[in-house]
Amino acid sequence: MAVEAVAVATTDLASIQASQMGMKAIGAGLAVGLTGVGTGVAEMGIGAAAVGAIAENKDFFGLGLLFTVIPETIVIFGLVVGLLLLF
Amino acid sequence: MGVNISAPYIYVCTRMRVRKAKLLPREEYMRMLNMSVAEITRVIEETEYKQEIDELGTAFKGIDLVEVALSWNLAKEYQKIQEIAPGTLKGFTHAYLRRWDIQNVLTILRGKVQGEKPGKIKEILIPAGSLDKVVLDRLLSEESNDRIIELLKGHRMFPVLAREFPAARESGSFSHMENELYKQFYAEILADAKAGIKGASAFLSYIQLEIDIKNAKTLFRLRVDAQTDEDVRDMFVAGGTLSINDFTSLDSIRDTNEFIDQLKVNFRNESLHALMDELKGQKGSISGIEVRLTRVQLEQMEKMSKRNPFSIHPILVYLEKKKYEVFNLRALARGKESRLPSEKIAEYLVM
Repeated sequence: MAVEAVAVATTDLASIQASQMGMKAIGAGLAVGLTGVGTGVAEMGIGAAAVGAIAENKDFFGLGLLFTVIPETIVIFGLVVGLLLLF
Repeated sequence: MGVNISAPYIYVCTRMRVRKAKLLPREEYMRMLNMSVAEITRVIEETEYKQEIDELGTAFKGIDLVEVALSWNLAKEYQKIQEIAPGTLKGFTHAYLRRWDIQNVLTILRGKVQGEKPGKIKEILIPAGSLDKVVLDRLLSEESNDRIIELLKGHRMFPVLAREFPAARESGSFSHMENELYKQFYAEILADAKAGIKGASAFLSYIQLEIDIKNAKTLFRLRVDAQTDEDVRDMFVAGGTLSINDFTSLDSIRDTNEFIDQLKVNFRNESLHALMDELKGQKGSISGIEVRLTRVQLEQMEKMSKRNPFSIHPILVYLEKKKYEVFNLRALARGKESRLPSEKIAEYLVM
């Protein structure tokens, strides 16, 4: 009887741990995925404007590229959160 | 805003803004006022007009070179912009540029009446509207004006041309026909702007501004040149924020100060109010007033383009400013050629 109860508790614990791990994985996925979308939306406007400016004046290339990648920070935050969740 | 504006709009509007920033500043014109035609040619060769000056340098000299290079550059710019304009903005840009059809056809007709050589007329045509270089060449190669109008059959200008041309030829003045053509043009682009296409309200506000300023210019011109046998109502263009009745009643006010006060009441435009305050009590020349009204229009358009940064406005502001840059340079070169004093030339510059 007691042995049986211990066995049930162990399986419960294992399944809880597994589901926690799964939740973390989903959270990490959402963190990276949603911030990726956010970055994409933010970069759309800046990138379009930067390409427009570069088409008219080549000197703007460096600055344009820099401005375009600034929203990358958002996805990096997402990636950091994701990594913190997983490890 | 933001997410629902697509990338091509941002791309093109930014390009227009960069191009606008490259236009000649006021100081440059002031410097050019003290130069000869040859020096002016050299200065503009260092700017956006380099390619045209280089290409045409062997075929033309002096004032002709400047004139042809400016026309070519303007036409090239306009065609380029029509190519890159995205989505509905392309349609609006086409509609805006159709005014060059009127200008070109009238230039050809006037040139033919005065017996100019086709080559000379061709120099000042701007093939930016729906009539391209090939069509304009065909029109130029015709001898009689009747044939030219016949060739335009099927074009949207044809009904007005066919109706008005006999009277214009008889009287020897094309001004009434010109008025009618522009009225038809504005009526058509107003209809385009009211068709409920996305972004049309921005275009509509621009057309209304332009019509208002055009009518205001006519008002001032009528005050200077009061003797006219034409009906005053015929001279105003319908469709602005003010009706033709408003303009005719404004025209009937004889006292200048009262006229200016009434104009201020009717228009809700700060830059125009400032100009009106300046004009009160002083008598400016009509060309001076026209130039200043044009500046009011450009200022207002600039404001509108800041309010709607990704609409038709940035494109229109650039197109208009480019047009005036070419006009200014042409006026400068022509003025210098005929040895006008600098102050006189400066009066005609929109800067």
